[in-house]
Amino acid sequence: MPGSCEAAITLTGDLHARPAGSLAVMAAKFQSMVELAVGANTANAKSVLAVMGLGATRGQHITVRADGPDAAEAVTALIGILAEATPVGG
Amino acid sequence: MSDEARVGIVLVSHSAALAEGTAEVAGQIGGGSVVIAAAGGTDDGGIGTSIARVRQAVQCAEAGAGVVILPDLGSSVLTVRALLAEEDFPGPVALADAPFVEGAVAATVTAAAGGDVKAVLRAAEEARHARKL
Repeated sequence: MPGSCEAAITLTGDLHARPAGSLAVMAAKFQSMVELAVGANTANAKSVLAVMGLGATRGQHITVRADGPDAAEAVTALIGILAEATPVGG
Repeated sequence: MSDEARVGIVLVSHSAALAEGTAEVAGQIGGGSVVIAAAGGTDDGGIGTSIARVRQAVQCAEAGAGVVILPDLGSSVLTVRALLAEEDFPGPVALADAPFVEGAVAATVTAAAGGDVKAVLRAAEEARHARKL
């Protein structure tokens, strides 16, 4: 059943290249459209370059939205990766 | 999907250091499940391109799902085209018209997620439109 799902998290670290890569790899495994939103900016979560282009930093509130047959699983998986984003390196 | 072979990436540059460094960055961002083969420099290690090095890199990157090649500039494209004209590889081999670093990163991420040659090629070529700022 197609559906939509949304959840938000406050970043504990900057969304550097490496976590952006992990996010995009995970997002691309789902059929659903998956989008990240930080303030007024949005990015296709399946595009690593778009995710990096968000320039999201520690303390910012980031929303994950998915729309499609596996929307809930996609949001859960991406929130999990965002929760692990670290303030060091990457 | 995770048990299936991944599309391999070949980076063709005039400089061995540039090809290897770009492979290193893309590998870190893509999580390490994709073969990224660097084919930089001439046969004697100078600045230029080598058809032998590109051939070897394509063979190395072929894991059963095909290969996407990213050239840096000018004669890198000609070298890849010359190789593809003279040799038949077992799987699909595609040449991407993409920015080198961004294309390598985007292609690697899509390959790591299990995308096919067409999807990896598209990801590399779409990198042209990604804004950094």
